[in-house]
Amino acid sequence: MAGSNTTALRKGGMRVFRSYWSDLRKRIKRDRQLLILLIPCLVFYLIFRYGPLSGLAIAFMDYSVFTGIFDSPWVGLKHFSKLFGSDDFFLLFRNTLTLGFFNLIASFPFPILLALLLNEVRVARFKKSIQTFSYLPAFLSVVIISSMIIDFLSPTNGIVNRLLVSLGLESHYFLVDPSWFRPVYITSEIWTNTGYDAIIYLAAVAGINPTLYEAARVDGAGRFRSIWNVTLPGILPTVIIMFILKTGSMIRIGYEKVLLLYNPMTYEVADVFSTFVYRKGLLESNYSYAAAVGLFEALVAMVMLLGANYISKRLGGSGLW
Amino acid sequence: MVGQARFTFFGVINAIMLVGVAIATLYPVLYIAAVSLSDTASVSQGQVWLLPKGLNFEAYAEVLKDDKIPRAYLNTIFYTAFGTFVNLLMTAIAAYPLANRDLVFRKFWMLMIVLTMFLNPGIIPNYLIVQQLGLIDSVWALVLPNAIWTFELIILKTFYENMSSQIREAALIDGASEFRILFNIVIPLSKPAMASIGLFYFMGHWNSFFLPMIYLNDQALYPLQVVLRGMLIFNEGSTAGLVDKAALAPQAMKNATIVLAMIPVLIVYPFAQKYFAKGVMLGSEKG
Repeated sequence: MAGSNTTALRKGGMRVFRSYWSDLRKRIKRDRQLLILLIPCLVFYLIFRYGPLSGLAIAFMDYSVFTGIFDSPWVGLKHFSKLFGSDDFFLLFRNTLTLGFFNLIASFPFPILLALLLNEVRVARFKKSIQTFSYLPAFLSVVIISSMIIDFLSPTNGIVNRLLVSLGLESHYFLVDPSWFRPVYITSEIWTNTGYDAIIYLAAVAGINPTLYEAARVDGAGRFRSIWNVTLPGILPTVIIMFILKTGSMIRIGYEKVLLLYNPMTYEVADVFSTFVYRKGLLESNYSYAAAVGLFEALVAMVMLLGANYISKRLGGSGLW
Repeated sequence: MVGQARFTFFGVINAIMLVGVAIATLYPVLYIAAVSLSDTASVSQGQVWLLPKGLNFEAYAEVLKDDKIPRAYLNTIFYTAFGTFVNLLMTAIAAYPLANRDLVFRKFWMLMIVLTMFLNPGIIPNYLIVQQLGLIDSVWALVLPNAIWTFELIILKTFYENMSSQIREAALIDGASEFRILFNIVIPLSKPAMASIGLFYFMGHWNSFFLPMIYLNDQALYPLQVVLRGMLIFNEGSTAGLVDKAALAPQAMKNATIVLAMIPVLIVYPFAQKYFAKGVMLGSEKG
């Protein structure tokens, strides 16, 4: 009895297995045109997104262009111990975190404020034109924005210094002064991103049930009270999610802008992981060391992003994926 | 009702603050344009505040005389047009099969794609791949490594998923191939979504500076943004970085180049803004 039972089961298992394969073959045959369409995409991801991961191996080698990736000697964690033992490490870590943190804290409230102000406008056309202007900077390239900054802060005839002089103050070369690097960088980030980031909050505001405002008005709430008691609580979930996600990507500094604005005089506060990687790797051809620094940064960034997403999910939010 | 009065105290303060925001946003751009249209003397004496002094177009004539900037401009136009075309094509042919809910191994493909949003091997490994493929100093170095942006792919896939599947089924019964359905039916029907992601790709190519800087060595291939950077920073890593860069380049010429680089963007973005906002919002609801 028992024996025939297991044979039946095994036969059944085989049948399931076989029918799975024939089913799969049928589905592949049915979808073959779709799969052909998908091939370029898969090739792209394999070569340009997964391919570079193999290049990370050079972080554990003494890679040189002449010996190539297959013949360069393995050196284990040499480059990592060099990084952790050097003064560079502390400086880069501190600069990356400080710049990311202050940028996050200082620029976070502005899009929310802008969305709140825009939401109170009753003339649709006015609202629309202000909004259109406000996200113009998001369309400008980092080179253009950086050249504006360099231009405005020029000690010779930059508009900021002309203003200072005409107010009876002394002109100042901001871009070579380390204490001014962060304020300049962060201000320009606020200018660039406020309008763009406000879009998401405006959408959140638009999703608030209008009857809540009416109820508030019936209860005698003025404009301020209804902003405070209806609008703000209404967009709070979005605000929290955005904050967590931005914290997760905090150390992904806009290094292109840093690269354009820093100089040897301000390296001590401006140099971040990515700019260091660029200088060591591509300008000094020190590929292995640069790849090691880049790998370390990528790991820190990934941990922070996963952590932020985890927290966001725990709070009942949707997370990033 | 009181709340509906057109000009409340609150409304006026609010409007003033918003006008302030608009001025803060627009002033730097207008100032750059004003300097580009002013004569050298007024600029060097610092007399330009908002309107051009000694209005003239010499800086533009100067910029266009030398073939360096017109060539860079043409390079940028070519890279942007070609790059955006490749992006849209690649994204569309990938999004279409993935939008089909019972595609074989769909979950695996999606995982493979979405996972890359969290893997960021960094500048050096990416550079080495491009180098090993022999793409340095070719337009492909600017096009292939970012041929698909995962985020835009997900946006388009979501859009396709929400399209009616009846058209596709009917076309399949009529014997149309998936290629024909995609190119003759789906893509023409998804113009708003294509415009939205196309805008992001367009902006990405037009404003791109880091990739052309590291992947192109031949100056004749430089796009506008890289040339513009060259006008800002003369000698990276040398002491020249410490002298006042702005004073070295003729100010008006530099600003004329900036204005030329901004013009297409300024033309495109007001028209594109409805797609733009839609793209941001579509991106926030995940597929």
